[in-house]
Amino acid sequence: MKNPNRFDRTRLRLDHLIARFFGANALVAIVVLALITLFLFREGAAFFPMNLENLRNYRLAGLEYVGMMRDEIEGHTALNRSLQDLRLRQMNALLAEKKSPEAIQAELAKFDAFTAEFDSAVDELRGVVSDLTDAVTAIKDKAKLREDALQQRQFLLNEGKRAEADAVPVTEIDFVKELEPVKAAFPLFESASLQFRGKIETLLLRPPTLPVKALQPRFEQFQKAARAYIAAFPETNRRLKEWNQFAPVPWIRSVTSFLFGTEWITNSFWQDWYGVLPLLTGSLLVSFIALLIAVPLGVCTAVYTSELAHPAEQRLIKPYIEFISAIPSVVLGFFGIAVLGETLRALTQWKALSWISFFPIAERLNAFTAGVLLALMALPTIFTLSEDAINSVPRAFKEASYALGATRLQTVFRILIPASLSGIISAVLLGFGRVIGETMVVLLCAGNRIAIPDFTQGLGVFFQPVHTMTGIVAQELGEVANGTIHYRALFMVGLLLFVLALGINWLAQLMVRRFKISIG
Amino acid sequence: MDKPRLVTPPKVDPNIAIEVDELDFFYGDFHALHAVDLRIPAHKVTAFIGPSGCGKSTLLRCFNRMNDLVPVARIGHGSIRVHGTDIHGPNVDPIELRKRVGMVFQKSNPFPKSIYENVVYGLRIQGRAKRDELDEVVERALRQAALWDEVKDRLHESGLGLSGGQQQRLCIARTIAVEPEIILMDEPCSALDPIATSKVEELIFELKKQYTIVIVTHNMQQAGRCSDLTAFFYLGKLIEIGATEKIFTNPREKQTEDYITGRFG
Repeated sequence: MKNPNRFDRTRLRLDHLIARFFGANALVAIVVLALITLFLFREGAAFFPMNLENLRNYRLAGLEYVGMMRDEIEGHTALNRSLQDLRLRQMNALLAEKKSPEAIQAELAKFDAFTAEFDSAVDELRGVVSDLTDAVTAIKDKAKLREDALQQRQFLLNEGKRAEADAVPVTEIDFVKELEPVKAAFPLFESASLQFRGKIETLLLRPPTLPVKALQPRFEQFQKAARAYIAAFPETNRRLKEWNQFAPVPWIRSVTSFLFGTEWITNSFWQDWYGVLPLLTGSLLVSFIALLIAVPLGVCTAVYTSELAHPAEQRLIKPYIEFISAIPSVVLGFFGIAVLGETLRALTQWKALSWISFFPIAERLNAFTAGVLLALMALPTIFTLSEDAINSVPRAFKEASYALGATRLQTVFRILIPASLSGIISAVLLGFGRVIGETMVVLLCAGNRIAIPDFTQGLGVFFQPVHTMTGIVAQELGEVANGTIHYRALFMVGLLLFVLALGINWLAQLMVRRFKISIG
Repeated sequence: MDKPRLVTPPKVDPNIAIEVDELDFFYGDFHALHAVDLRIPAHKVTAFIGPSGCGKSTLLRCFNRMNDLVPVARIGHGSIRVHGTDIHGPNVDPIELRKRVGMVFQKSNPFPKSIYENVVYGLRIQGRAKRDELDEVVERALRQAALWDEVKDRLHESGLGLSGGQQQRLCIARTIAVEPEIILMDEPCSALDPIATSKVEELIFELKKQYTIVIVTHNMQQAGRCSDLTAFFYLGKLIEIGATEKIFTNPREKQTEDYITGRFG
C-alpha cells in the first residue's frame, strides 16, 4: 500500500455510503408514513365543510321540519311492530297447546280487531305527512341540482373556460317561498294528529284481554308505551311551531354529528347521515369479544410454554401458534361463514341451551362469529409478545424465588407475571391493534348490519350482526364517486381508525418502557 | 490418590451439617464432579476455593438441589445428606429442602418489589401473612443482616433502589427471614466494592453463630479472613480440605500450594 491515507479515505467513504444507504431506507419508511397521514388528512378534512353544508340544507329545505312529523309516524310503526310480535307469540303459544287454526283465529279475533284499528288509525296522518315529504324532497332535489351546477361552473372556471361557465344555468332558490306551502299545511297536520291521538286514546280505553295469560304483562307494557307515545304529541307540535328555518347550524355540529351520530345512512331519498357511532361500537364490540377469548388463551399459553412445558412441547406449541398468522384472513372468513357460523347457530338451537333468553340466535353471521375468528388472529401476537416478556424476566429472579422454597406456580404468579405485567399488557394492546384493523374477517362474518347493537339484551348483544369501521370502508369505497361527501366520510372513518391504532400503539410502547424500568 | 478426609468424621455427629459421599455429577456428557467426598461441620464457615470451572459452584448448588432446574444436570453416583437425611431420598421434597438450605447468589437479585416484600417473600409463599408476624420478621432479618438502620425509614420503597452492597445484604436478609439451617453463598462479594465486601464479611462472622455457612469464593483473602475450613477444588475433584489456617500455611498437596501462592488460577 503506497498511500495508506488514501486507502483510509476510501474506506471512510465506503462507511459513509453504507451508513447513508441504511439511513435512506429509514427515511423512506418515515416519509411514506408521513405521506399516508397527510393524504388521509387532505382527503378527509374536506368532509367537515361538506357535512356542514349537508346539515344546513337539511334545515333550509325543511327536511328537519317534516322529519319531526315523520318521527311521529315512525313511533307508530314501531308500536305496530311490537303488536305483530305479540300476535306471533300468542300464535306459537296456542299452537303449542295443540289448538286448531280455526280455534286460534277465533280466540285471537278481538286482539286482531284491536290491532287492525290501531294500524289504520294513522292513515290520515300518514297521508298528510307523505305529501309534505314529497314537497320537501322536491326542494332538496332542487338545491342539489343547484349545487351540482355551481360545482360544474367552478370546475369550468378552474379550467379557464369563463364563457362556458357563465352558460351553465344556475337557478336561485328562494327557500322561504318554497317552504311556505309546507308550513301552511301545519294546521292540517295538527288536526290529523289530534284525530289520530283521539282514536288511540279510545282504543286504549277498552283493550282486549289476551287468550294467553302469560303474555298479558307484555301487552300492558305495550299500552304503557303507547300512552307515553301520544303524550309526547303536544311537545312535537310545540317544537314544530317554534322551528326556525334560518336558525344557524354551528360548524361544530359537522364534527359532533360525525363522531356521535347514531346513524350511517347513505344514498337515501330523504337525508344522508354520516354518524360513525354504529361502526365504532361494532368495531369495539367485535374487538372486545376477540380479546375476551384471545387474552386468557394467549397469556396462559405463553406462561405454560415458557415456564411449565416440556422442551418437546415447547418445540411443538410455538411454531404451531405462530403458524396461525400465516393463514390468509379471507380463508378464515370463509371458514367463519361456512363452518363456524353454521355450527354456532346449530349449537344455539340445542334444546338444553334454550333457557338462555337470546338463544337460538337469529343470525349466523354476528359479532360473536367474527370475534371468535379475530381472537384466532390476535392469538399469535399476544402469545409471542407475552412469551417474550416472560422470558425476558431475569433468570436470577426465578432462581432466588426457587431458592426460597417457592413452587413453580408460586414463582410464576408472584414473580414472573408481576415482573412481566407491563410487557403482557403491551402485548394485549398490540393484539387489540391487530384486531381493530382487521378487515376481511369482519366484512365476511360480522353480519354487516349498520346499527348500534341493542345493549339492553345483556349478553345477547354479542350475537347481533354489526358493521365495522374497516368493513364499511372496504365495502363502500369502491362504489362512491371521487370527491363526494360520502367518499370523504369514508376517509374520515379511515382516519379515525388510524388515530385509534396510533393511540393503541403509543400506549403499548409506553407500557414496554415502564416494563424495562421496572426490571432495572 | 488418597481421598482427602476430615480429621475426625464420626458418622452420626450432630456437629456435621452436610455429608457428601463419593459424588459424581454430570451436565449432559460433561463429568463435572468426580467422586467428591466431604463433611461440612455445623455452625462453621466452610469456604470452597479453586479456579473457575473446578466444580465448586456446582457442588454448592447440589446442596439445595438448585441443579434440578437445569434440564441436563444429573447425579451419576453417590449421595448427599443434610443433617443425616439423604436429600435425593424418595420422601424429600426439594421445596422443603430449600426452606432449610437457603442460598445467596453471586449477583444480588432482589425482586422488583419493596424492601419489605422482598424480606417476607419466603414467608408469604408459605402462606404466613399475619401482619404482626411479618413486621417482626422483617425487623429481625434486617437487623441480623445489618441493614435495618439504613432502610428502616423506607421499607416500602423498591429494593432495586438500594446500592449494590445493600442489595446483597437485602438478599441475605431475605434468606435468613425463613430461618434456614444452612446458608449457601455463591461468591456473594464478587460484584461488590471493598467496603461493601467487608460489611458482608462481618455479617458472615456474625451469622455463623446461628447458621452453618458454605461460601464459594475466588478471593483468597476472603477465604482466609472469614472461614474456619477451606476446601480446594481442581478440575471437578476435591483436592484437599482442612482448617483454613493449615490450608493457607501448610497445605498437604502441591496443587493447593501452587494455587494459593498464585502460581495458577
